[in-house]
Amino acid sequence: MSYAYLFKYIIIGDTGVGKSCLLLQFTDKRFQPVHDLTIGVEFGARMITIDNKPIKLQIWDTAGQESFRSITRSYYRGAAGALLVYDITRRETFNHLASWLEDARQHANANMTVMLIGNKCDLSHRRAVSYEEGEQFAKEHGLVFMEASAKTAQNVEEAFIKTAGTIYKKIQDGVFDVSNESYGIKVGYAVPNASGGGAGSSSQGGGCCG
Amino acid sequence: MDSRSINLRGFAGNAGKNIMQGIGGFVFGNERSESKEDSYVERFLDRISNGTISDDRRSAMTELQSLVAESRSAQMSFGAMGFPVLLNVLKEDREDVELVRGALETFVSALTPIETSQGPKTEVQPASVNSDLLSRETENISLLLSLLSEEDFYVRYYTIQLLTALLTNSLKRLQEAILLIPRGITVLMDMLMDREVIRNEALLLLTYLTRDAEEIQKIVVFEGVFEKIFSIIREEGYSDGGVVVQMLLKETIGFDPLIAILKIRRGSAFNFTQQKTVNLLGALDTVELLLMGGGSSGEPGKDANKTTNQTALAQKNILDHLLLLGVESQWAPVALRCMALRCIGNLVLRNPQNLDSLASKQVGEDPHVQPALSAIFSIILRTSLAQEFVAADYVFKCFCEKNPGGQALLASTIAPHPNQAHATFGATTDMPFGSILLQALVSSDDNGDMEACCRASSVLSHIIKDNLQCKDRVLQIQLETPAPSLGRTEPLLHRIVTCLSIAASAEGENGQSGQPEESYIQPVILRLLIVWLVDCANAVDCLLESAVHLNYIIELASSKRYSACVRGLAAVVLGACVLYNASREKGRDAFAVADAISQKIGLSTYFLRFDELRKRFAHSSSGQQNRKQLSRSSANSMSDFQEIEEEEINKGDQHPVLSEIFDSHFVSFLSKLETDIRDNIMDIFSRTKTATAIIPAELEQKNGEVDGEYIKRLKSFVEKQCNEMQKPSSGRERVQIESLRQELEGATRRIEALRAEHTQIEAEASNQRNLAAKLESDLKSLSDAYNSLEQANFRLDSEVKALRQGGSAPYPDVEAIKAEAKEEAEKESEAELNDLLVCLGQEQSKVEKLSTRLAELGEDVDTLLQGIGDDTALPDDDDDEDEDDE
Repeated sequence: MSYAYLFKYIIIGDTGVGKSCLLLQFTDKRFQPVHDLTIGVEFGARMITIDNKPIKLQIWDTAGQESFRSITRSYYRGAAGALLVYDITRRETFNHLASWLEDARQHANANMTVMLIGNKCDLSHRRAVSYEEGEQFAKEHGLVFMEASAKTAQNVEEAFIKTAGTIYKKIQDGVFDVSNESYGIKVGYAVPNASGGGAGSSSQGGGCCG
Repeated sequence: MDSRSINLRGFAGNAGKNIMQGIGGFVFGNERSESKEDSYVERFLDRISNGTISDDRRSAMTELQSLVAESRSAQMSFGAMGFPVLLNVLKEDREDVELVRGALETFVSALTPIETSQGPKTEVQPASVNSDLLSRETENISLLLSLLSEEDFYVRYYTIQLLTALLTNSLKRLQEAILLIPRGITVLMDMLMDREVIRNEALLLLTYLTRDAEEIQKIVVFEGVFEKIFSIIREEGYSDGGVVVQMLLKETIGFDPLIAILKIRRGSAFNFTQQKTVNLLGALDTVELLLMGGGSSGEPGKDANKTTNQTALAQKNILDHLLLLGVESQWAPVALRCMALRCIGNLVLRNPQNLDSLASKQVGEDPHVQPALSAIFSIILRTSLAQEFVAADYVFKCFCEKNPGGQALLASTIAPHPNQAHATFGATTDMPFGSILLQALVSSDDNGDMEACCRASSVLSHIIKDNLQCKDRVLQIQLETPAPSLGRTEPLLHRIVTCLSIAASAEGENGQSGQPEESYIQPVILRLLIVWLVDCANAVDCLLESAVHLNYIIELASSKRYSACVRGLAAVVLGACVLYNASREKGRDAFAVADAISQKIGLSTYFLRFDELRKRFAHSSSGQQNRKQLSRSSANSMSDFQEIEEEEINKGDQHPVLSEIFDSHFVSFLSKLETDIRDNIMDIFSRTKTATAIIPAELEQKNGEVDGEYIKRLKSFVEKQCNEMQKPSSGRERVQIESLRQELEGATRRIEALRAEHTQIEAEASNQRNLAAKLESDLKSLSDAYNSLEQANFRLDSEVKALRQGGSAPYPDVEAIKAEAKEEAEKESEAELNDLLVCLGQEQSKVEKLSTRLAELGEDVDTLLQGIGDDTALPDDDDDEDEDDE
């Protein structure tokens, strides 16, 4: 399948917040209540459409455990977008957000789009972090915010697609040099007349081997 | 400075040192030599660490490096003391590029094993101890990775080398360390975009680094390693890329993923989406690359590589996948099927094991199982696409090349099928390969369409090529004549000539209807005849059994109705009939054929056919290149494959089948044959017809023979021949001889004229050259004379000066002497000058005269006189002045 752009995402956040479940829900539209611990990094992909253009999302699901942090860091630079996930029922996962952001600031490219996700919003009876707190944190750090549930699929599509929309807009605004693939954006072969903006994006036709 | 003044012995106190000394003492035993190296190393380290003069620190580094590179004990001492010092240099002295380079180079040397002949084999290599020591601290690796972003090329280069050295000794530790460093892999990946030398080193490094390390593999994939590798392959020019591409494919990507791509499930919904087709084509492209050995064959290294790859790929059962794609997936895009077939050919080519496995392979599902080769042959007969025919034919070509056993196997089944008469075309799965082949060979539909015959001919020519047994075997096949009432049989060879004539007549009709494309049917059948006749006297004899055949082929070679290709190939068939003719029977021997050629075609016209054919070759080889490029681009492009296919076929006027026949092997084979034929025919004529037994070589001008003599000799030769020829006086011979004589005379006249012209031109040129040389030497002596004159003048002048300075008082008559001397000198020089002027005048007129003459002759006078001009300048100037004086 051809695409106009390929975006590389990473999903980060503490262990057990439901990163792998979010990915599974988004790529396979199913929920798996018991999920093995992610070792290192896993990977998934899905096509979406933005502005009538096919866009491929390549999503790298990282391990939340501290012992894998260094491995995870290797993925920051090459990612165009990141979903930073916490668990609304576990306060400590929210408290760690700052350290995750610090990591991202240090290793990611400056233009990486970060989306904050408060996961497990179906468990509102066990809520430990309010919506407002999440919203407030996002505002302070310039993130897009959303509460979602990997179990009910609520807001899962929206989270990924909204992030993609933000990246797409950045491309249109010429923020990225899309010819440099190290920013996690790749121009596909079926480039439909790159309307305005995107610097040098049209000259790449036929260049990919995927 | 304080930070740099490190107490070396202080470091010796740490654990590393103790371990090292322990090992060192154990290993080397010889305390004295160790302590000597020890003290040198220590001294150098001290200079590097505590030195204040940059140059001295640098030179200490250089000396340390060469010491460590040479001696194991120095490596050991360096390991014990040197690491902190040099690591400090890498950290603190970044601006001193030369020192950093030296430090890195020293590390590389300390980690490179030194082979020694003495000592027990179990001995610990200081290099591996050092490597262990260096990789122990993640911080060190981090430091090294940071050096990869340095400006200086050598710093990056040595760093990569150092990392590779670490990797060979301490793979696991380095893998762990690199994973712990944020962006560790990323930095290495960036090196793939560096200059070529570093890029290649980085490729090797990454290749080792990713071995058995899943997390690292994932990161490199995330960083787009495949895209980068493919872009390198593109940069390196695919198959021309040689070693780098080979390494990339084999080491980095590996065979397994490649084959995984090729696996398609039988019976599954074969859904060849564009993307899937592109992927499969890419994979097949890569397989072909591996099988072609990264370039043309012939180089021993590449051939070995090719064989290794053939075997390795075969072990992974690639043949099954290729057969499924190329033979059994009739709904797959044709470009894909063709590519798979080509890969099958390349997989088995000259590889005994793979040839065997192709020969014994069965395809299809019960109950329709059939041998793979039969199935491929069915494709040849069935396909409506020339491209697919060519690809399937290529499998047979590869199968038969240098494979007499395989050829015999195929040939052994060629026999008329008992039910031949009843078998309908198509229900052939139960028939043996040979019977299908034979049936196709002799079949022709009512419209005289010889397509099937042509395709079968092509396969048959592979089967009998270079294989005398097979040629003889096929020669013995007898077929019922088309009109069975006569109750006779005819050999297969005769039937094929008949087919050729049917094809020709069908062709003629098509030609009139203005078909633009040149047919390949006759050329393919003619190729079969050529391959068959070569080296096979029996086949020649069989062909000449009927005079009709000879006449027919002569007609093919002479009539303007046929294309240059057909005429040329027919001429080759005739030549083969002469060359490989062992018959003594009158009317069928070599002379009879040669005679028929000269009589009905004329020798010069006959040989002209070869030239025309050669021109076709040049044409078709360029056509072939075209095709290759197109198939290359088709792997990348997303356009409709059907379109590509048509484009390929219509590219130029060259039919793909024709370019396939005239591959480089066949072309060189024909060229060799042509030379032999020429020699042989000339030989036959001279031997049989002239009693004097003048061989053609005598028609050439002898070495040192004067033209006149040569012409005379030629004339007498011709006259003699004339006389000889008039004796037997058979009418047609006389006509032939007459034409020969005319040709000869014409040639002689032309040679004579050309030679005369040539001699005249040459004489004139040498004349001019001599004149020019003389002129030059004249001018030279003139300028010499002038120079000496000037010197004399100068001498006199200085004498005068000296005399003047000497004072007039003691020699009152000095003025008079001077005047006298001057007068005398002037007189002398005037006389000399006059002579010179006369000379010069003469020369000038000569030059003018010559120049005009030269110009008339078309010589570039200016260029000729260029060198001389420099010499003439001086006297000319002088000349003018003198004239003024007068």
